[in-house]
Amino acid sequence: MSLAWTMVRHRFAAFAGTFVAVALAVAVVAGATTLWASSRPEVPARLAAAPVVVHSPSVGEGRDGYPQYRSWTAAETRSLAERLEAVPGVRAAIPDPAFYVQRLVGGRATGDPTASLTDGHSWSSATLGGYRLTAGTPPRRSGEVALAGVAPGTRIDVLTAKGPATWRVTATTDGPGFYVADEVAATMAAGVRVIGVQGDVAGAVEAAVGADGVVLTGDARNRLEDESVTRIRWIGAQLLIAMVAIGGFVAVFVVASTCALSAAQRRREIGLLRAVGATPGQVLRLMYVETLVVAVLGGAVGVPLGALAAPLLAPPLVAAGLEPAGFTVTTQPAALAAAFVVGVVVAIAGTGVAARRSSRIPALDALRDAAIDRRAMTVPRWIAGVLAAAGGGALLVVLPALPLTTQTTAALGAAMLLLVAAALLAPVVIVPLVRVVTRPWRGAAVGMLVREGTRTGVRRVASTAAPVLLSVGFAALLTGTVATIEEAAGIDEAAKLPAALVAAPDGTPGLSADAVGRQPGTAELTTEVLMTVAGSTSEYEATGKQGVTGILVASDMPATPAAVGVRFADGTTARLPVTGTHDGPAETVTISRDLVEKHDPTALAAAVLLDGEPVPAAGMKVLPVRDYVQGRIDQEGRIIDIFLVVLVGLAVGYTGLAVANTLLMATAARRSEFAALKLAGGGRSHVVRVASAEALLAVAAGTVLGAAVAAAALLGMRHAVEAELEQHVRLVVPWAQSGAVALACAVVAVLAAAAPVLRSHTR
Amino acid sequence: MTITSIGTAVELRAVSRIYGTGSAAVTALDAVDVRIPAATFTAVMGPSGSGKSTLLHCAAGLDRVTSGDVAIDGVALRGLSEKALTRLRRERVGFVFQAFNLIPALSAEQNVALPMRLAGRRPAPGEVRAMLAEVGLADRAGHRPSELSGGQQQRVAIARALVTRPAVLFADEPTGALDTAASREVLRLLRLAVDRYAQTIVMVTHDPYAAAHADRVLFLADGRVAGELPGPSGASEIAVRMARLEER
Repeated sequence: MSLAWTMVRHRFAAFAGTFVAVALAVAVVAGATTLWASSRPEVPARLAAAPVVVHSPSVGEGRDGYPQYRSWTAAETRSLAERLEAVPGVRAAIPDPAFYVQRLVGGRATGDPTASLTDGHSWSSATLGGYRLTAGTPPRRSGEVALAGVAPGTRIDVLTAKGPATWRVTATTDGPGFYVADEVAATMAAGVRVIGVQGDVAGAVEAAVGADGVVLTGDARNRLEDESVTRIRWIGAQLLIAMVAIGGFVAVFVVASTCALSAAQRRREIGLLRAVGATPGQVLRLMYVETLVVAVLGGAVGVPLGALAAPLLAPPLVAAGLEPAGFTVTTQPAALAAAFVVGVVVAIAGTGVAARRSSRIPALDALRDAAIDRRAMTVPRWIAGVLAAAGGGALLVVLPALPLTTQTTAALGAAMLLLVAAALLAPVVIVPLVRVVTRPWRGAAVGMLVREGTRTGVRRVASTAAPVLLSVGFAALLTGTVATIEEAAGIDEAAKLPAALVAAPDGTPGLSADAVGRQPGTAELTTEVLMTVAGSTSEYEATGKQGVTGILVASDMPATPAAVGVRFADGTTARLPVTGTHDGPAETVTISRDLVEKHDPTALAAAVLLDGEPVPAAGMKVLPVRDYVQGRIDQEGRIIDIFLVVLVGLAVGYTGLAVANTLLMATAARRSEFAALKLAGGGRSHVVRVASAEALLAVAAGTVLGAAVAAAALLGMRHAVEAELEQHVRLVVPWAQSGAVALACAVVAVLAAAAPVLRSHTR
Repeated sequence: MTITSIGTAVELRAVSRIYGTGSAAVTALDAVDVRIPAATFTAVMGPSGSGKSTLLHCAAGLDRVTSGDVAIDGVALRGLSEKALTRLRRERVGFVFQAFNLIPALSAEQNVALPMRLAGRRPAPGEVRAMLAEVGLADRAGHRPSELSGGQQQRVAIARALVTRPAVLFADEPTGALDTAASREVLRLLRLAVDRYAQTIVMVTHDPYAAAHADRVLFLADGRVAGELPGPSGASEIAVRMARLEER
């Protein structure tokens, strides 16, 4: 143990790569898990003052496995509230009808469009959030409203599902939201799903509710969090999980290559230890304990780094729409401890192969000079490389035969396998590759030195090329796949939209009835309905169209029933005859427009396809179809782009670390070789040129191999997408991104290769 | 196996070592019989490629023999596991190499204590210091190898090899990387260990002056013992014999 500590202290430079890799991995994991753990569902603020909340009942699990909830009808709500108020100890049972409202300022809608869908409430529900009236009198009639920050008597312009309106502020509150008279709210909302109960009598309430609802108390009320907020948290969590996975995986990779190189450089020292009486087991333990010491040090740096970075990342995450507004980071000791453990596990896992190899070094090696890399390719490496290549190749070959839905996933899997195979087999390919590339310069001194140096130092060159290969391949593949699919999706969606111009929401979640009614053209009003088909109740997106009677279901629905039971957003049910089918997605249906308007007063239209001159309306803009579709794709693409930037950035960061570390260690170890070169009449510039030329060659080799694998995989992926969409898809080659990654690697490589030479010379 | 005889530190019987197979096979040792009596200083000489290093490696258990038997301090090496062999080396064998003898991370004192520490033993108080004093480095105990001269490093290595009181000390060109004065000091220390502590030493060298410090000089050529001389014969006579071997 003390020996390991002394070793680490003495040759810290040799462990620097492991240290930095572990520290960074721990920082990334600590930061990401802290953010993730801080982002737990919360009781919505507007229900925080209701200790007991009754939610409308579930009607069974949908196809996605999640429970489906229905709304109470107005009558059901009234009777349940009365029943609850009769329970002894209950001070009040207040239904919370929520509806869409946005304030218009200068004709433009303000506030977050998604959050505005539930921004309107009944006045009595303000007390569920503990909000109070600070001035004025509660709203009593239609056209009256209470809200925060506006003095009573002020007139404000708002936009609701009906259209624009002017409301008079009768009261000022101390909490967010628009509060209207209870009767008015009931007509504007589509059913009620939540009744807040004041009084701490959960047991008695449960008995009174029975099967008519679900009683939630304490932290269980977290389930009431808005779906939009939950969705934001979920997207954020995906990014954080991906960061942890990539950070951990790449760190193992960097630690493994660092340890392998350092073990190769320490052969003689290990041999000496063996000669003076260290058993293979003792050498193995020494290597593990050394790494453990470095991992603990790395963790000690990484944990505070991650803990400090997490709060700084919260505002950008909120701004990027990856965490809900008001998200704050809390200290998460468990997350930090877990990150520390991850660092240790990463280091131990990374050092395993090198440590086992070192323990097999014979004592005789203390007496040998081992300047030449004797075996860059070990038997296990050959086996693993060939297996990965065969697996990836086979996957690409059988790709066309696979079911359509799994083809893109399989193509990505094949690409990953091929990348790993290329990294493992790189030493085999690199020597001939370098010989071909350097052929024109074989007469010059530098060219000759690089050619021969690469031959004898295959392991060194391969260690530099492997991370570049993975990084370039990964970046090209990921960005290429996303770009190609995005482009294909654009073609796909645009094909469905015939009209040249479209009226689309502008800062709003949808178009109001007023805006739609004034436009020439067809609009589709959408609402969510619960439909029971073959015994399972699921949510369907119902589109309201004029002239439709009954209901149209998807043509690929198995065994089209004669009639289906439908429950609307307001909780009422109806049995509709199936009068036809449509060719859209399976989870959509078409019903008459009147039905939608009647049962969902908050229903908004997604867009209007114009066939005449548009009429200006609040919260609406007019734009060409192509731009509209592109805008919607870009909105999704923006999040995907953030994912790409973060993940590729993380991978490239680690690649830079691996490349720099390999070259720093390798050049330092070649000091005597370079000294001999100087004695033979070479200047410092010769040494710098030899070192950096070799580094550049390694980067080039890695880039070529990585790009080749990515190209093969991208072509396979395109084939799959074309088959899926049954149309030609243009392959988007991410030249710029891949080039940037390769360039970054090259810059790091040249700096890392030349720095030790220049430094040793000035000393 | 019964090659154990009283007063024998190392015994090689019909030892052959062949590297490679088939047409690429190289015979480094060809049925060599050597007996190293205890408390003697033996020098092994021979032209390059004569097999003298291989002889040392096989005798020390660093290299496995192709055929024949080796015994150290009466223990036959045949059939020992790598771990058992390591233990045997740790307990009964000391090494001094030409260069890179010391672990750079450890001080002189820690280097000397290393074999004991690897054996899981704590050195007795003063034991390591006394050994360093023996080689004249009492005042350098806390220095790292990089802060010591080549001769001093080699003396630390000798102290490390002797501290476990091994049955035999193997030295592979111990003066090969040293200047004349440092060489003389190292050879004096080795001679002293034999005379004062009855240490057995086997030294491979190509330097007739170094060989002249031994009790006996073994000459090797083409993997076979090609003769022997008593060490005190003098450096010039040893040199003449060497020259004759190299001419063959």
